[in-house]
Formats: sequence, structure tokens, C-alpha cells
Amino acid sequence: MTNAPPMAPTDRPAAIALRQVSKTYKTGKGGTVLAVDKVDLDVGNREFVSVLGPSGCGKSTLLRIIGGLHSYEGAVTVAGAPVAGPPDNLATVFQKSNLLPWLTVAANLGLGARFRKQAAREITERTARMVEILGLQGFENSYPHELSGGMQQRVCIGQALIQNPGILLLDEPFGALDALTRDHLNLELLRIWEEQRQSVFLVTHSITEAVFLSDRVVVMSPRPGRIIEDLRIDLPRPRSVRETRADPRFAEYTNHLSEVMGVI
Amino acid sequence: MHPHLRRVVDPFLFFLALGLIWEWSVHYFQIRSYLLPPLSSVFSVMWTQRFHLLNHASVTLLEVIVGFAGAITAGVLLASAIFTFPVLRRTLFPFITAMQSIPKVALAPLMIMWFGYGLTSKFVMAFLFAFFPIVIATLGGLSSTPSNLVEHFKALRASGWETAWRLRIPSALPSFLDGCRIAIPLTMIGAIVGEFVGAQSGLGYVIMMSSSTSQTALMFAALITVAAMSITLFLLFQTISRLVWWRAI
Repeated sequence: MTNAPPMAPTDRPAAIALRQVSKTYKTGKGGTVLAVDKVDLDVGNREFVSVLGPSGCGKSTLLRIIGGLHSYEGAVTVAGAPVAGPPDNLATVFQKSNLLPWLTVAANLGLGARFRKQAAREITERTARMVEILGLQGFENSYPHELSGGMQQRVCIGQALIQNPGILLLDEPFGALDALTRDHLNLELLRIWEEQRQSVFLVTHSITEAVFLSDRVVVMSPRPGRIIEDLRIDLPRPRSVRETRADPRFAEYTNHLSEVMGVI
Repeated sequence: MHPHLRRVVDPFLFFLALGLIWEWSVHYFQIRSYLLPPLSSVFSVMWTQRFHLLNHASVTLLEVIVGFAGAITAGVLLASAIFTFPVLRRTLFPFITAMQSIPKVALAPLMIMWFGYGLTSKFVMAFLFAFFPIVIATLGGLSSTPSNLVEHFKALRASGWETAWRLRIPSALPSFLDGCRIAIPLTMIGAIVGEFVGAQSGLGYVIMMSSSTSQTALMFAALITVAAMSITLFLLFQTISRLVWWRAI
């Protein structure tokens, strides 16, 4: 398995393009740590790319750089525009639930869209639709602490989707959940994505999750983070647990990625 | 009995017992009434002098309300300014902290000199007692906004105002209300100390006058009125701060 061929050519610029991107942190004692080292990466339009790597390899740092939350060296463009601050047309979901405890589920869902100055009526309509898509019926007026961890993450995903972003950054959005809930939400995410086809940049620890969801899986080395593998996942869509996981290529991909990551 | 009822009935019975012991011991030990009047005569003075007491209580209440409102306004503004401009945290904040180490009781004569025997000096005293706890609590609340939410608001492209209004203020509210609860009894102290030092009205004035004329029953009546006011204001803020239910989440 070799490096992936480029996506089908389009005249639009890549959703995300990183060129020689590095990130150096200052430590408390005046030293510096190189977290990300000269990363080149493209995420094509409507492409689902996952980033795998050991803890502390800088994959979350890379996500925050793309999301305009961290400074960086090198060149980062989102939809062709250089990143300086959180880009329009991009939404981020973090591992930790970022819901406001004093707002209802419905108000939390619409929060990001409100900040983007989208019309109030449109937000209400999209909130209602999102409640249905995410199976949150009956919880619209509940508060976040009344929901389970899995439900809270659903609301976080919904908050991002309601903004109608062309690009989604997902930072281990289900990382804090139990395995069963996680599988369940991955399926839902896949179902929503196969309908809406945003460009996705997903950071994860889970090899099977990455293979199951992605068009491409990128592996990063331990710190300083470099890209050591870029693998195209040629599994047919729409995918399902039964058929996709039974595909012999699924096992090939996961075995290969495990080897690259030094797990086996 | 219902446990909810017990929470009201039990303290009431306890107070009743204390009152009976008071009444009984004054008679039994023949304590002279200018030292400790029987509770019954305190209550009778409270009744006969009720308009007198209410008049003076309303003066003290006015002083507390004005001083407290001023302390909330100035305290919140100052805390927000210190929070927003780091240069103020390095300059103004240490200055206020140093000022805080002066016992404010010791400032009362100065305030009377500056602002006279009227209400203004009492407003200032009440203000001085309430101001610092409110600044500290508000500043603590503003600084304790979870950093993951601050980052999330940045990612959501919220403006500075939106972040303040939708994130910082609701996060700071529980701590701010705690500060108010602490400040309320202190404001009472400030107003009454101001009245001690120089005044023609207010419950502190009644206490001083009844002391110099040995009307101890009237003094106790004034003390009970002060306590009742203080407890009422405290409970008011207790109730308000319960409305901010997200404090524990």
C-alpha cells in the first residue's frame, strides 16, 4: 500500500492545505518544544480524512492550527484563504463537551449559528431538524447536565452542523465515551456525513474508527509530529458495520496501520 | 412531624426556650434592669416605640441600600476593568488590596469630617465595607471561566461582547452573588459604625443614645431590629443566589 493518489481534480482549492507547518511551544523554564514538524497535508473537498497518532504527537495541535486557534509557522489555507483566526465556513467539535450549563439543549444547538449572525428563523428551523437527525426529541428544553455523555456530544456535533460549515474539525469527539456509545455515534456521524458531505478532519486514537469512517487515514509520528503514512481507504460507500468490516481490505488496512503505529 | 416543618419548628422552639430562660433568670437572680432588662420589657418597648424604631430602621436601611448599590456598581465596574486591562491588575489592584488592610472602622471619624453628620458619610461607610468583598468575588468569578469554553467561543467566532454577555457574566454570577451575601452584613456594620461616630438618626444612633441614658430595654429593642434587618437582607440574597442554579454543575 503506497501513498494515496490525489483526489479527483476540481477547480476549487483544497478544503484544507498545510505546507511546511511547524509549531514550537515555549516551556515554563524558557526552553522550547517542537510539537509539529514541517507537516504537508491536503484535505480535498468533501473528503473525510482521519489523523492517527500516539498521545502528544501534535495531532490536536494541528487541528487547532487549522481551526485558527493556535499560531503556527508555515502556510495554512482553508478553502484557499490563509488562516489567521477561526475561518468562516468551518466548525470544530472538541473531545470535552463545550455546552453551556445555563442554556437548554435547543439554545446550545443554535449558539454557534447565532454568533455567525444567521437569521433567527432559519436557526429555529435548523435546530428543529437537527433535533430530529440526532434523535434528541423530547430533550429540546432539557439542560446539558440532565443528558448522558453520549447525548451531550450529540448536541456538540449538532451545534457544529447547524452552522452549515463546509469543513468540520473533529477532535476525538467521542473519545471520552464508552465503546458502545462511541460505535453508535460513529454510525450516526457516518450517516449524516454521507448525506451532507462536509470536508472532515478527524483526530482519533482508534484505528478501526479511522478506517471505518475515512477516505484517507494519515498517521503521525511521536513528537515532534511528522506525517509517516498517508493511506487511501478504498472501501465502498455507503458503509455499514456488517459489510464494511467483513471486507477483507478492512482487516488489511487496520493491520497495516497497526504496523505503522507499532501496535503489532 | 414532617421533616420540612421540623426545620421551622425546631429553631422556633429553641428560641422560645432561650427567651424563657432569659426572662426567668432576670427575675430569679434579680438582675438590675439597666444591665439586663427582662425580655418582656424589651418586647413592650419594641411595641410602644415601634414608630420610633421603624423611623430609625428606615434610615439605616436607606444607608445600607445606597451603600450596597454603590458598592455593587463600582465593584463590578472595577472588577471588569481590572479583568480587561492587565495594567490595572498590576497597578490599581495592589493599591486597593493595600487599602483593604486599613481597618475600615478606623476610617469612620475621617468620613464624618469629610462628609459631615448627615447621610452622606453613612453611605460612604456602608460602601467602604461592602466594596472590597464584591470586587474580589466578581474578579474571581470572571477569572474562573473554564478555559475550554473560552477557546470554544473563539472557535465559534463570538465577538468580545458576545463572549462577555453569554459566557463570562453567567460564569461569574455564582461567585458574584456569594460576594454579595458576604457583603450584606458588612454593609450593615459600616452604616451602624458611621452612626455611632456621629449621627442624628439611624439604629446605631438609637443604640448610642439609649446607652448614654441607660434605656437598656430600648437598646435591646434596637439590637433585635438590627439583627432582623440583617437576617432578612441575607435571606433575600440567599434566595436570589439559589436562582443561579448552575453553580454546582
